Amino acid sequence: MPALSPAEGPDLALDGLRVIDLSQGIAGPFCTKLLADFGAEVIKVELADGRDVARSLGPFPDDIPHPDRSGLFVHLNTNKKSLTLDITTQSGRVVLRKLLAKADVLVESYPPGYLRDLELGHDALKDGFPNLVYCSITPFGQTGPYRDFKGNSLTCMALSGLMYVTGDPDKEPLSTGGEAAEWFAGLAAWVAVLAAVEQRARSGRGDYIDVSMLESLGAADEYNTALYSFTGAIRKRFYSRHQLPVYPMEIYPCRDGRIVVVPGGTGFPTSMALLLEQPELEQNPLFQNPWLRMVRWQEFEEILRPYLMEHDWEDLLTRAQELRMPFSPVLDPQQLLENQHLKERGFFQDIDQPELGRITMTGPPFRMSETPGRTGPAPLLDEHGQEVLLELGYDRQDTVILRERGIT
Amino acid sequence: MPDRPLDGVRVLDLTQVYAGPTCTRILCDLGAEVIKVEGVARADSTRGAVLPDNNAEGDFWNRAAYFVFRNAGKKAVTLDLNNAEGVELFKRLVAHADVVVESFTPRVLRQHGLHYEALRELKPDLVMISLSGYGQTGPWADYSAYGTGLEPASGVSSFTGYRDGEPLRSGISFTDPLTGIVAAAAVLCALHYRRRSGKGQYIDLSEHEAAIPVAGYALMDYLLNGRLPQRIGNRSPWYVPQGCYRCRGDDTWLAITVRNDAEWQALCDAVGHPEWADDERFADVLSRWRHHDEIDALIESWTREHDHIEAMRLLQAAGVIAAAVLNPKQVLLDPHLRERGYFDVVEVPGAGPRPVPRQLGARFASFEPSARGPAPKLGEHNREVLQGLLGLSDEELARLQEQGVIGDEPQFAAPMPAVRALVQWPLTTFLQMGALAALEPDYKAQLGIDDKS
Repeated sequence: MPALSPAEGPDLALDGLRVIDLSQGIAGPFCTKLLADFGAEVIKVELADGRDVARSLGPFPDDIPHPDRSGLFVHLNTNKKSLTLDITTQSGRVVLRKLLAKADVLVESYPPGYLRDLELGHDALKDGFPNLVYCSITPFGQTGPYRDFKGNSLTCMALSGLMYVTGDPDKEPLSTGGEAAEWFAGLAAWVAVLAAVEQRARSGRGDYIDVSMLESLGAADEYNTALYSFTGAIRKRFYSRHQLPVYPMEIYPCRDGRIVVVPGGTGFPTSMALLLEQPELEQNPLFQNPWLRMVRWQEFEEILRPYLMEHDWEDLLTRAQELRMPFSPVLDPQQLLENQHLKERGFFQDIDQPELGRITMTGPPFRMSETPGRTGPAPLLDEHGQEVLLELGYDRQDTVILRERGIT
Repeated sequence: MPDRPLDGVRVLDLTQVYAGPTCTRILCDLGAEVIKVEGVARADSTRGAVLPDNNAEGDFWNRAAYFVFRNAGKKAVTLDLNNAEGVELFKRLVAHADVVVESFTPRVLRQHGLHYEALRELKPDLVMISLSGYGQTGPWADYSAYGTGLEPASGVSSFTGYRDGEPLRSGISFTDPLTGIVAAAAVLCALHYRRRSGKGQYIDLSEHEAAIPVAGYALMDYLLNGRLPQRIGNRSPWYVPQGCYRCRGDDTWLAITVRNDAEWQALCDAVGHPEWADDERFADVLSRWRHHDEIDALIESWTREHDHIEAMRLLQAAGVIAAAVLNPKQVLLDPHLRERGYFDVVEVPGAGPRPVPRQLGARFASFEPSARGPAPKLGEHNREVLQGLLGLSDEELARLQEQGVIGDEPQFAAPMPAVRALVQWPLTTFLQMGALAALEPDYKAQLGIDDKS
């Protein structure tokens, strides 16, 4: 399905907002992808010889690297335009300034100080571009003792405290997979940019935004820090459970896979006993007393696990939900893509992606009744270079000169 | 106080517990006036979660940690939505609101006549968002869900776990904070559109769907290569070595990533073993890939002799990606986070000041997205809101209080002594069973929030 243009489709929430995207990797591109999926025009500026690192990371079809075939890059850059531009040269910066003059937002993810040294820092741009919202995304933020530390998702998992509380008590702390901190930072940047655009509508001035990946992830681990600042208790990782007084709330194996057992507020003692088809368990002290169950969890699991191993996850899920217990499925990518509920909601959508053909993409993260999001392809490297340069007022000869000198 | 972006925006908040309150807390920090609507028989259940000093006396529901940090700065009114007059008063509030945020299971609001089509009649440009586990439509629409279950449901657990082990959940309610941020973005998108078009709209947010993009790499690998994700512990699909290494001291660890030859050389020099870089088993990236286990053993032979914080500083000074695994107390005391003002100190009624982390990991030049005040007591703003916005008289308020439509004391299903016993956690038992690393009576002095400091 081709992307809907505003003229032929419904309105888009962020139609008319123009974003210059100097970011790469996951966090920044995720932020600008979400802006683009809801209607912003996002122009991705990639260095001619320093393209977005995600183009090099795959997964690639048959594991053969190709800058236009990275699955991760495509997932993170839908509905954007791509222009190669060498901003480390004076000539490249002249082009960038022309772009910024017509833009509302700049998003970047270079280490602190990198753009300042190119005279592209916020201080250098704020007078020339007073309306520009300038958003920087870094592992630790622009200030503070760790500002020049190198970091990634694992680093933020470690320093946020989240890693200390994830995993088994007798093993090393465990990082959530999939570079999870990056995605949290991308979402925080998205909210921050939207907030600054609202602020600008009132004040007429573009704001500077300093997004810290560590703080974006740390906000998700609020209650473990609060447990200490309210009680002096230091939480430690304890299997798959996070909430001290609520047990079980964990992934268990079942006959054909796995199920998350979550009793909810009303699961014990009656509903769980009914689910396990042993109504007499309702009177069992382990069902009656949550503290006892938590402490003697191995005994409880001797009752729970054998039953689960004799039943399929869909059966357990359906019956638990009927009993008002919020069990959840444990889904892998294949099961997600084949999931009937998601199919009926039309969450995944097929697009035609150059170099990859027809491919399934995740849809917008929420459904807006008046301004639905759009699904569309990610750009090939420099796919829109010529178009963008001509729109800026350069003529064909100019574009040839810029290209021959490696500026674009 | 400088202006915040959502000054003048009024939000009615029907949500409870985690994802919804996080969304409205962010909107509140951005300047919105958030009016949280509870019932005396339907108080936010987090009002009983984690009490200061584990003390369940008196009005404990006004000082619980989980409630405080997700609701700081909001206003709280009580309205019984099972009562016709309560519903009517809520509808009258809608006429004064810009945004309604709710997280009931999908059928509930329709039963109360408070679904979007009905509320739009009262406020044509209303923005309304519904948060639910699996969305408002589809076969699982009526399924309820917790963030603890939606992380495995979203695919994230399929690539989280020890090497070759079972899928594991993160030690947090993963999709709840994530959904809170996404929902705030949804409201901001809708307000942006309303400002330009004059139109409100309805937003259906499935917490399941909102989290699935985080599994993007694994989804694409399956689509492109038919491959399902493996659990690789703390290793990286791209860089080697990467891992979490035991340090000197009890349960202290250091996370390290080495991306290339230069960083490997830097690590070897920094730890005083330049010969590792010359060893042919580790000299190039392919060799390192094949000998990851041996490299791990070497690195750990060094980290075991070092403090995790000092080791982090030493390696970072050499240009190596390294981070100490901080426990929650160390996070609160971390010099970087403290210098950046990451913790807001919120005044808790009867319990004094408590540091709580910011909800939005972003700073702005023109304003601070900080908590705007203490968390509201149950029904604290009944008078201010119901008189101020709706013009109710003192007599009407007294009658509503008398009839239990409003109030400032919660009604629990269980008798009060049983409730007090339940909200007081057996922390010593948790310590004994290993779910806590320590229980420190002098924590307030350590945090500098005791009476003396």
